Amino acid sequence: MASRIQNYIDGEWVDAAGIDALPVHNPATCELLALCPESNQADVDHAVQAARAGFAEWRQTPLLSRAQYMHHFKVQMEDRFEEVARTIVIENGKTMDEARGEVRRGIESIDFALGVPFLMRNDGVEDISSGIDETTVRQPAGVFVAITPFNFPSMVPLWFLPVAIVCGNTFILKPSPQTPLSAQLILEMLDDLDLPEGVVNLVHGGVAASTALMEHPGVTGVSFVGSTPVAKIVYETCTRNGKRVQAQGGAKNYIAVMPDANLDASVMNILGAAYGCAGQRCLAAAVAVGVGDAYEPLKEKLRSQAQQLRVGYGLDESSQMGSVVSDAARERIEHMISEGEAAGAEVLVDGRSVDVDGYEGGSFVGPTILADVTPEMSVAREEIFGPVLSLMKADTFDEAIELINGSKFGNGASIFTSNGNYAREFKYHVNAGNIGVNIGVAAPSASFPFGGQKDSFFGDLHGQGADSIEFFTERKVVIERWV
Amino acid sequence: MRELNTFGAVLTYAIEIETLLRDAYRETGMAAEAKAADRRRLRLERTRAEHVLEITLEPIHGLAVTDYAELHDVSTDLRDKEAAATAFFQDASPKINVRQAQRVLQRCAREHAAQSNAG
Repeated sequence: MASRIQNYIDGEWVDAAGIDALPVHNPATCELLALCPESNQADVDHAVQAARAGFAEWRQTPLLSRAQYMHHFKVQMEDRFEEVARTIVIENGKTMDEARGEVRRGIESIDFALGVPFLMRNDGVEDISSGIDETTVRQPAGVFVAITPFNFPSMVPLWFLPVAIVCGNTFILKPSPQTPLSAQLILEMLDDLDLPEGVVNLVHGGVAASTALMEHPGVTGVSFVGSTPVAKIVYETCTRNGKRVQAQGGAKNYIAVMPDANLDASVMNILGAAYGCAGQRCLAAAVAVGVGDAYEPLKEKLRSQAQQLRVGYGLDESSQMGSVVSDAARERIEHMISEGEAAGAEVLVDGRSVDVDGYEGGSFVGPTILADVTPEMSVAREEIFGPVLSLMKADTFDEAIELINGSKFGNGASIFTSNGNYAREFKYHVNAGNIGVNIGVAAPSASFPFGGQKDSFFGDLHGQGADSIEFFTERKVVIERWV
Repeated sequence: MRELNTFGAVLTYAIEIETLLRDAYRETGMAAEAKAADRRRLRLERTRAEHVLEITLEPIHGLAVTDYAELHDVSTDLRDKEAAATAFFQDASPKINVRQAQRVLQRCAREHAAQSNAG
């Protein structure tokens, strides 16, 4: 019998008051891993009260001491690196390499938070007026919440938690109920640090818990990563309730391949971008646009390489692609492939009904390529969030830019070329928050903000980098005269 | 046949080799050699954790455990095992597209070659 996991509130592991619970399955083996409680209003009230009470002491804790806690947290993450990666694999389905990459990215965010003492420094001017000095001060703002997705269950919470608390705020994490075990592990490590009660809290659950957090008057701000429809709701709910919010939504990331690109290197990179994490990442390559003469050889090379990818259980290190997160996800992805086929796309590589020996009941979808996709097809417009790459043809570079900018999303876009002018024009004209040049997954490192435009982002300040310092602090201007 | 077709699969096999050699040297009372193998094992574990950035993850072709069967054959002496380890690290390093990890594998190859020649 799988155990019901607990919330972490006010420095203690506690049972959720909410009675209902959701099953957490290993998507490859179908094993029931745990039951994730549906926390209710009472649980959220408890967490917010604890976080507010903890804020008073925490904001007075010296900044260097706050940063030092994160140094110890990093040591724990390094010590338990393999355990964290394995936990990600068993609840999410990705491969060990992908999980290790995720943990490494999470640690990068902890590293970034160690620099908060430098980044929180103020500026000021003496004698701005006669005998008057004027300075700005950054202060922590209160209680912050992160509502995080299933696809990076360890990394995304770490985009927010370390910076938020080193800035002096207190924090409530509400992870995806599909993948709560990585968050459980993070909080277990934080619990070992003996942080003051209420500084970090974990509330499990789904829509009810999220809504209660977004509407709670005790919450200052909310960070969200998920799909576009939900990001819109999060943004509207938070702004209606007077909170600052950063809501990162879905994506449809295009890759333009120019005839002058190094095709072999480009194809290997595009494969990783399209099929890494089984396509379940907001920077996954979704559409490859072959420009002019690049289209046919690109199509042929992608077909031959994608067919060779080994799909399997993530804990088997010879698996080059793991499962998707659930059977519902598998059904949705397969349905969208069929929809593309019905609309006239050629199914060049078909990942539907893929067989994985020993894991027959698992939620696997093989690498899929849909060729000759046209802009009006749903597979060109809508996010699939699975291992499906659509191929489109553009006669010219300008036409490729037009196709890319025609998307309602603006998370990422990449170009493969050996021509500096194409690269420059691409960077200049494409409306997306993260641009790659000869890189398929244009994922910014922790010291840069994670971009996103159009329907891929709702808010003003992005996650990561200097934006995160702005988001997690309040600026105050002090005007003084002593003479 | 166990395939070494991912960054993790290659590094995990490399760690297994060093563990195997460390234990073999310990059994024969060669403490310095055992310590050197254990240092390499730790270095490889660190490499697997630190240099795996998914942005560079690409399929790896042409490496299989069966090519280094001497390592797992109990009748093979340590000098031949060292030669097989040298071959593995020499074969593996150009397959890894992360320069820092490549350097670690190359260093392992050099150390195993020296050990093999020293006999």
